[in-house]
Amino acid sequence: MIAGLSRATIAGLSRATIAGLSHATIAGLSRATPVLVQGIAGRMGRTHAALMRAYGTNIVAGVAVGAPGREIAGVPVFADCAAAVAATGAVVSVAMTPPAETLAAALAAFAAGIVLLVTVAEGVPAQDALRIGLAARAAGAVWIGASTPGMAIPGQVKLGFLPDVALRPGSFGLMSKSGTLSYEVGWRLARAGLGQSLWVGVGGDPVKGMRFPDLLPVFLADPRTRVIVLVGEVGGTEEEDCAAAYAALGGDKPLFALIAGQEAKEGVAMGHAGALVHGASGTLAEKTRRLEAAGARVFPSIEALVQACAAATD
Amino acid sequence: MLLIEADGKALFAAGGIAVPAGILATSADPPSLPGAGPWIVKAQLPAGGRGKAGLVRRCASAAEVAAALRAMLGATHKGHRVGACLIESEVTGVEHYLALMLDPARYGVRLIHLAEGGVDVEQAGAGQGVLCAPDVASIDAAIAAAIAAPAVAAAARALGRMLLARDLMLAEINPLFVTDTQAVAGDAKVVVDLNALDRQPEVARLIEARPEAYADAHRKLHAGFDYVEIDPDGQIGLLTTGAGLSMMLIDELTARGARPLNFCDIRTSMLRGSPERIVAALGWMAARPSLRVVLVNIFAGITDLAEFAGLLADALAQSPGLRVPVVARLIGRGAEAARQVLGERAPGVAVEDDLDAALALVAAAVRAP
Repeated sequence: MIAGLSRATIAGLSRATIAGLSHATIAGLSRATPVLVQGIAGRMGRTHAALMRAYGTNIVAGVAVGAPGREIAGVPVFADCAAAVAATGAVVSVAMTPPAETLAAALAAFAAGIVLLVTVAEGVPAQDALRIGLAARAAGAVWIGASTPGMAIPGQVKLGFLPDVALRPGSFGLMSKSGTLSYEVGWRLARAGLGQSLWVGVGGDPVKGMRFPDLLPVFLADPRTRVIVLVGEVGGTEEEDCAAAYAALGGDKPLFALIAGQEAKEGVAMGHAGALVHGASGTLAEKTRRLEAAGARVFPSIEALVQACAAATD
Repeated sequence: MLLIEADGKALFAAGGIAVPAGILATSADPPSLPGAGPWIVKAQLPAGGRGKAGLVRRCASAAEVAAALRAMLGATHKGHRVGACLIESEVTGVEHYLALMLDPARYGVRLIHLAEGGVDVEQAGAGQGVLCAPDVASIDAAIAAAIAAPAVAAAARALGRMLLARDLMLAEINPLFVTDTQAVAGDAKVVVDLNALDRQPEVARLIEARPEAYADAHRKLHAGFDYVEIDPDGQIGLLTTGAGLSMMLIDELTARGARPLNFCDIRTSMLRGSPERIVAALGWMAARPSLRVVLVNIFAGITDLAEFAGLLADALAQSPGLRVPVVARLIGRGAEAARQVLGERAPGVAVEDDLDAALALVAAAVRAP
């Protein structure tokens, strides 16, 4: 269904309609969805374009300023997004660009009519991310990033570099700030014979594209998802906002949460710029309290979460 | 990252916001005090709750200042050691709260002004105040609509320009001392964006100038990865990749009664064939006499673990100062080959693929005499 979407069809729609389209855009991804890779000539772009293709993603084009006319990872390379979209009909882009170039790449993608953009760069300045977010909103596009390992519908398609060893088709909808912690959760689920319906890494940046509360309706509406798993971190208010959304939407699907950073040091960003605690704001205690009040279950360890997932499928 | 108050105020002063006359003292016998007193002595560390912890004191005499310095310098608060105190002339006025911050959910800037300041309004934040677009004109318009007092509005405009121009995430003044003619920043809570340092040389210079106060940021800037010491007397050194998994590991270890030394996101994908980062991290761990064991935990989605194992063996060979057992939990791409590499080149390393089994080995190493 996503292949039929274009910027022209969604420009000017209401916020509610756009929220509905986010669902269609993300959950409607399939092996048919045409995807381009920005920064395909770089080390990461080259490697992951090939790995995504091997997984089944329909990579149709690459963009690299200095390499138009060449072929990389078996797809044609264009000088800019507009040319790549015009020639191939790509509607999704994975930007494998350095952090300082990610704002320009995102603006070019939205201008070319891309409706779903995944950016993977670690270290995009927060004010650049604000501008990407505003541009995505103006274009009616969905942005996942700034720094994320990407997303996947296991067995179908992956955008980014979620490790194959942790991907397994199933009924758990997984959303995570941390890449590696979600790998560990996904891998243990897979080892227990449990898989994921849809997996979205929102990334650990303070300013980002899709946040937990934005994704919650996507999982609630997705018929493949039976249980929603939130892997959070201290800092920011995303978990709290997701708790409010869960309470308001009255979801009939269980929400399980694991939140890292109980022992985080105040005033210091723990690896992720967003994982910054100051005062009572962003603490694990507050996130846990709000999620539990909304009816979610919060687990103290990875193993406790995985055991609850196993029990939920009985 | 949160700046210490003195650095936040340096940015304020450069941006046109009035701050009290002050000096920074790193020992109990400070140079000449600013003004005739009374003075406020404030411990400089990047964490809140100083007032409630007794780290902010009003002093009426030089002797009281010296006593306050003796009490505060060297104290620790929320994992930070007090290396310096700011001594300022006392300022009076009506206390206001003024803050501008990025609003991540709405892609805007939030302006909060309360005509009452003080310790208890520190919980102000998300959801309060006025939202505006992240540009000077929109911020100025919001200030004009929300703030009547000219001196406060002027401070707010300066704060807004600073937020945008310096790539700040938060600029908060609590309290702002307001009189009929002026508004003086009594405190400065400034959160800078380490991801923007390449284009913020002034902010980078502040951080460069204080390797002790910003030890964790220094490690990140100079070594290129995250290493945060969370317990100087910790027993378990963590060589890990991935911020979330590293944090979770610390939480799970602590819940079991263990004492991890550090947080670490070594970023295996950025090692580029050099053991340099691993050597640096092992060196910081070995420098702590309390260290009893090193736990390596790598979940490799993309990284080839055999290559990582080779670099780990290289790093161990280059770290003669490290005299504790090493437990490695390696999972993902090339784990079998990695086990072989370590078996040949670093046979002392205990390799596990189950995390709980690795944690049991770590616990045993901590208990060993």
